[in-house]
Amino acid sequence: MAQTNMLAMILAGGRGSRLHELTNKVAKPAVAFGGKYRIIDFPLSNCANSGIDIVGVLTQYESVLLNSYVAAGGRWGLDTKDSGVFVLTPREKADSGFDVYRGTADAISQNIDFIDAYDPEYLLVLSGDHIYKMNYDKMLRFHKEHNADATIAVIGVPMKEASRFGIMNTANDGRIVEFEEKPPKPKSNLASMGIYIFNWKTMRKMLIEDMKNPDSSHDFGKDFIPVMLDEGKALYAYEFKGYWKDVGTIDSLWEANMDLLDSENELNLADTSWKIYTEDTGMTPAYIAESAKIDRAYINQGSAIGGEVKNSVIFSGVKIGPGAKVTDSVLMPGAVVLEGATVTRCLVADHVRIGRNVTVGNKKSEEILLVAKSIKGEDK
Amino acid sequence: MASRAFGVINSASNFIRVEGLHDYRPIGAFSFLGRFRVIDFPISNMSNSGFERIQVCLNSRPRSIVEHIGSGRHYNINSKRGAIQMFFTQNNGASSIYNTDINAYLENIEQIERMPQEYVVIAPSYMIYKQDYEALLDAHIESGTDITLLYHKVDQAKEYFRGCNIVTLNKQKGVESLERNMGTAKERNISMDTYVMSKEIFIDLIKKSRKESSAYSLADMIALSCKELDVRGFQHKGFFAAITSLDDYYRANMELLDYSTSMEFFRPEWPIYTRTTDACPTQYVHGAKVVNSLVCNAGLIEGTVENSIIGRNVHIGKNTVVRNSIILAYNDIADGVYIENAVIDKWAQIRHVKKVVSGSVTPAYVKRNDRL
Repeated sequence: MAQTNMLAMILAGGRGSRLHELTNKVAKPAVAFGGKYRIIDFPLSNCANSGIDIVGVLTQYESVLLNSYVAAGGRWGLDTKDSGVFVLTPREKADSGFDVYRGTADAISQNIDFIDAYDPEYLLVLSGDHIYKMNYDKMLRFHKEHNADATIAVIGVPMKEASRFGIMNTANDGRIVEFEEKPPKPKSNLASMGIYIFNWKTMRKMLIEDMKNPDSSHDFGKDFIPVMLDEGKALYAYEFKGYWKDVGTIDSLWEANMDLLDSENELNLADTSWKIYTEDTGMTPAYIAESAKIDRAYINQGSAIGGEVKNSVIFSGVKIGPGAKVTDSVLMPGAVVLEGATVTRCLVADHVRIGRNVTVGNKKSEEILLVAKSIKGEDK
Repeated sequence: MASRAFGVINSASNFIRVEGLHDYRPIGAFSFLGRFRVIDFPISNMSNSGFERIQVCLNSRPRSIVEHIGSGRHYNINSKRGAIQMFFTQNNGASSIYNTDINAYLENIEQIERMPQEYVVIAPSYMIYKQDYEALLDAHIESGTDITLLYHKVDQAKEYFRGCNIVTLNKQKGVESLERNMGTAKERNISMDTYVMSKEIFIDLIKKSRKESSAYSLADMIALSCKELDVRGFQHKGFFAAITSLDDYYRANMELLDYSTSMEFFRPEWPIYTRTTDACPTQYVHGAKVVNSLVCNAGLIEGTVENSIIGRNVHIGKNTVVRNSIILAYNDIADGVYIENAVIDKWAQIRHVKKVVSGSVTPAYVKRNDRL
């Protein structure tokens, strides 16, 4: 098979239990974001735009929808002769028993045969639940320039929040001297973005060692990276500047959606030089009725709006009846808000119906309300 | 089940000219409702009717249509069993009297003869309507007629549908004549330039045409043949528009601003396919005011939009008002501009001229790529 310079593996297996009912039916990477996308569109589009041809998507939890979604590589342009998106679920192998992925590093270890088939020089490991736009090719250039064994992308976070992240302590030249997972007293504010480039040959050897180690939990952050550091391997931190957000909770998912309401937002999805690709829903343009009132919104095609929308993100297939009020909310694909209903500070899940004159959410609530089940309203 | 018919998509006759828009592309490539192109409608009708083989005639400026159709994959046509073929004419100066659909068929006659299907449905690339061609084919076969012609009863044939043919029918729905609409009466049966016939009759008409006139179109041949062949009308109901003038184009877009008309026309069970551009949702800032409008993606709306269609990647500036207008894709309307009753072609920038208004029925037209 043709040799691939850098192959990407997206870790998409997370349960995402902090997203509650949103991930009851779909894995976290398949959760909707930004009016028309799914979270996994971001790493996949980044790969396609960075010139990476082969992407493996590692998944094990509730993966039917995610599988069928990512298997259509054409959506991201990953469908030329030597490219493809491959869904890699745990599978039975000739020389070992069937096993679930025991950790992030183990998910890669169990797919060594897949990676070997493409004989890559470098392996890019990504997480499937972050919203950002990044050119991985630039990161690879940095990796090569520093003769690194591994490069980890980091982002500066506010010092007071640093203890929530995996923190890289670096020397002046960017070489990582220490890695601390959620340190109570952080020494630096450079947080790991869960994006790694490894030299495949080195990594392959170490993965085999890791698989044999009974004390390892087979996790990149907890086991693999610390071992690399202990062995004196050259690990470098590549500092990323730009928008990056983990959307692991209802509040952070809502917040990331709200960020899009600022027309100068840093993510800038309108930039045609780095598009985020997604499935096409084949719908009509957004219909804004005579009775509608729109004040600061991010609205996708295929929606029909007859009520008031303020500070909200509206996905395709959403219908908002006359006299309804939607404020500070995210309405996911196909959500329906009937006449006279009021929705405030809510994240309304796919295809949920909010009945006539129903009130959900509260302007003063601290947390965002997830509305995952339809609510019956007054009869006509 | 694969259809017993293949599809042919016809282009408009030479005498049909749509002011402005037509200078840049054939009617099939006109943007419709900001998101579609006119040709998406006949191709989607064929795809939804289960047609696997579709042949598209291109008689002028083919670039935009070729790019748009591409492999045809987005029309949900099976990539192995199905195919979309494009028929070019060598002779493709748009104004040449020889540049007819028949010419395109003749130059590609082998392709037509090779089609394994017994029947053909021919539909135009300059009309917008929904029709299940499989149902039309069933009716055609059941009636035992030679040619079935689709028509629509209209009551505005004086102002609109100029350039279309009018159909005169006898009581048995037999077609007596097919003549150009000169706008002399309000109520007319307008030919939808859509025909069902056997492949054999189709090829026969093409070959015979050379003996009659080198400038004849298929419609001319059917008009000529309706005395000897059994040609019958089949009435179409529902939304119908013929894009044969700027007025017709404007009206067709505006009619679909009516929500119930639009909902009736765009049904989930009859999708209209188009090529995606992966455009992000549209941004409405504080201070924007949008009512009774259709708005495509990747826009930035800072001003007021009323009763209008906004194409994709359009910027509407602050204190700008767009009323009763069609703003095509990639337009940049700066701050403080007033636009009423206008069609703004793609990639224009309106900055210095603060008012674009038409007082008559015919909308004002701003050229593609223009700076105002």
